[in-house]
Amino acid sequence: MSLSLATRSPMPPEEAAEPTAAESPLPVKVQIKDVGFRYGKFEALKNISLPLFDRRVTAFIGPSGCGKSTLLRILNRIYELYPGQVATGKVLVDGRNILSPGLDLNLVRAKIGMVFQKPTPFPMSIHDNIAFGIRLYERLPKSELDDRIESALRRAALWDEVKDKLRQSGLGLSGGQQQRLCIARAIAVEPEILLLDEPASALDPISTQRIEELIAELKSDYCIAIVTHNMQQAARSSDHTAFMYLGELIEFDVTERIFTAPRVKRTEDYITGRFG
Amino acid sequence: MGLYGRRRLANYLMVSLSLAATAFGLLFLVFVLGTLLKNGVGALSMTLFTQATPPPGSQGGLINAIFGSLAMTVIATLVGTPTGILAGTFLAEYAHGSRLGEFVRFINDILLSAPSIIIGLFVYSIIVVPMGHFSAWAGSIALAIIMIPVIVRTTEDMLSLVPNTLREAAAALGAPKWKIVVTVTYRSALQGMLTGVLLAVARISGETAPLLFTALNNQFFSTDLNAPMANLPVVIFQFAMSPYADWQGLAWAGALLITATILCLNIGARLLASWSGLER
Amino acid sequence: MAAEHIIKSYDEELNRLNKMIVEMGGLAESQLAAAIDAVAKRDSELAGRVVEGDAQVDELERELDNLAIRLLALRQPMARDLREIFAALKIGSDLERICDYAANVAKRAIALAQTPPIQPVHALPRMGTLALALVKDVIDAYVERDADKALDVWRRDEELDEMYSSLFREFLTYMMEDPRNIGPCTHLLFMAKNIERIGDHATNIAENLYFLVHGKALTEVRPKGDKSSLEVVTSDRAAAR
Repeated sequence: MSLSLATRSPMPPEEAAEPTAAESPLPVKVQIKDVGFRYGKFEALKNISLPLFDRRVTAFIGPSGCGKSTLLRILNRIYELYPGQVATGKVLVDGRNILSPGLDLNLVRAKIGMVFQKPTPFPMSIHDNIAFGIRLYERLPKSELDDRIESALRRAALWDEVKDKLRQSGLGLSGGQQQRLCIARAIAVEPEILLLDEPASALDPISTQRIEELIAELKSDYCIAIVTHNMQQAARSSDHTAFMYLGELIEFDVTERIFTAPRVKRTEDYITGRFG
Repeated sequence: MGLYGRRRLANYLMVSLSLAATAFGLLFLVFVLGTLLKNGVGALSMTLFTQATPPPGSQGGLINAIFGSLAMTVIATLVGTPTGILAGTFLAEYAHGSRLGEFVRFINDILLSAPSIIIGLFVYSIIVVPMGHFSAWAGSIALAIIMIPVIVRTTEDMLSLVPNTLREAAAALGAPKWKIVVTVTYRSALQGMLTGVLLAVARISGETAPLLFTALNNQFFSTDLNAPMANLPVVIFQFAMSPYADWQGLAWAGALLITATILCLNIGARLLASWSGLER
Repeated sequence: MAAEHIIKSYDEELNRLNKMIVEMGGLAESQLAAAIDAVAKRDSELAGRVVEGDAQVDELERELDNLAIRLLALRQPMARDLREIFAALKIGSDLERICDYAANVAKRAIALAQTPPIQPVHALPRMGTLALALVKDVIDAYVERDADKALDVWRRDEELDEMYSSLFREFLTYMMEDPRNIGPCTHLLFMAKNIERIGDHATNIAENLYFLVHGKALTEVRPKGDKSSLEVVTSDRAAAR
């Protein structure tokens, strides 16, 4: 069966996820409801609704310009740094709508971590890079701070490589290390949700695999959403996959099904390399 | 001659013309520096730094002028740098596309290329006349007004060079805007901003016209900021046009000092830039 | 599939894979038809040619496996492309087994031709024709990617199984009547079993084709008409017929 784009309605999450009889239904960490996004006159996102499950990785794939990065940036409201960009709809995190205007933006962002495509270490020492986020909202004695930093670096699989040079500038690390530093920085503030915007696209294949392994380990503690233009990466790393095209959600399902037997023809055409 | 041959000839011609133009320009630079050195070195001695400007015919030095220039430059820098940096920060971080930002930028560009004598005249009318006398304060303010647009421009440019992703990374951690600017953006652009300040200082080191209207000059060594104060550019102006040989010698020495200072500031700025490049 | 891959060589390789299956299918049909013919006409020369022709099919299957592995390694196939390659691998294996069974039938036909003709032998070509129809139809279904046709073949195997059960009883009866029939009847039994296995492989192909088209496996329980494994025949019952 294939559904035409015009009549397509967003897939209700219960039907799409279809947990097996052995699993109980997965807890939903983030519920995206009818989200739209506009900048200037251009409508970048139309009526997006889907769940992000807790302790699972959800991947967003689609051709350039489909709106996947835009959607990710709505989840922590980072788009508000720029004027003229408007988001509509609701994003419910644990039931509370984070798009409501009264909310303290910075507190929201402290609970939702983000890692960007290009590694962005701050121009400070490795120690200070990670301490930066922690110091924003917590007053910790030095020893506790150091422990948190070590724990974050360990979980990001970077501790062994930098434990002797914590006071050196973060800019002196290799690309893969810098990206892991950014991940460590994001998890040091103990967020609940991690947003990864093409985290490995600027890295070589080995570093990419290390990041993917890291995501597999982090999955047990966080709800992770990853945007990637590399379909094989989405196939390898994620539990659920959402395919987007021209600002709409075309299909959302368990990753295995998307890549072996997708329901919508356009999804299949994209992942088999017939367009996009 | 074939196409290739014609091209080679054209290339050769243009390269020769470019080299000739470069040589022409450099020639004058070398000429100026050479003349300065030739005439100034002779008048260099320790007395330059120990004695004040003498009446014509007697021995003396430039200590009052040197002190005056230094003092006014320092005060101008202390006033101009924070103002310039804050204004530049406003333009780069807070005024995206706003009408006010456009307006400020426009005014800044005008001030940047305003003739320094106009600025001197302006300070004369708002500070010197009400005070009733010339003073080093007025001179410093005039110099600060010349510095500010330069610093605003360079600060804004350097801050704009900081990639947005760095700001987004800090914002994604939940940092409030002012904190992002101070701890992340400034840190990234620090070398560039310092270079801008150094270049602004180099610019005002040689300004003469504004000081003519504001600090005037002082024959004697004085530390009173409320009174007219000696400074190198005006001293050179006065001494170089005089018929006295020893005064003229001192003028050459003063010119050499100023040139050397500006040279050092520029070299310092370059070293700062390359040192920061090495660190990365 | 209406649209083509952005990379043309991918389409070319998938088409080559498709052609190989079709070629193997054609060979399977012709081998089986020739084997049945050899039995009916007691033609040892024809049978000999069938036996020799089996090597060609084996070679084709090796080529198919290599191409499929190449596609898997180099193209990272997804969704339908992955199912195509997977199905091609399995169908190729099934077709190769069908040809093997056809060659076995041919071999035994040579042996059978050297003994005097016996009456039950006429039943075998009838069974063979039925199997041949199954093979032909399932290959057609593959070419057209028609899952409904495949489903039809899948169900018709029951008929073949029932025929085998009745042949099994017939041959046993014949053997018990006269010990001189044991030799040729044993050959016939094996040949019938081979043909029945050909039918099973045709249903395997049908199942793989269904999976290719629909993306999920055929989960109905296949109707099995072969009761021979549960059959007990004693001389008393034979005497009673």
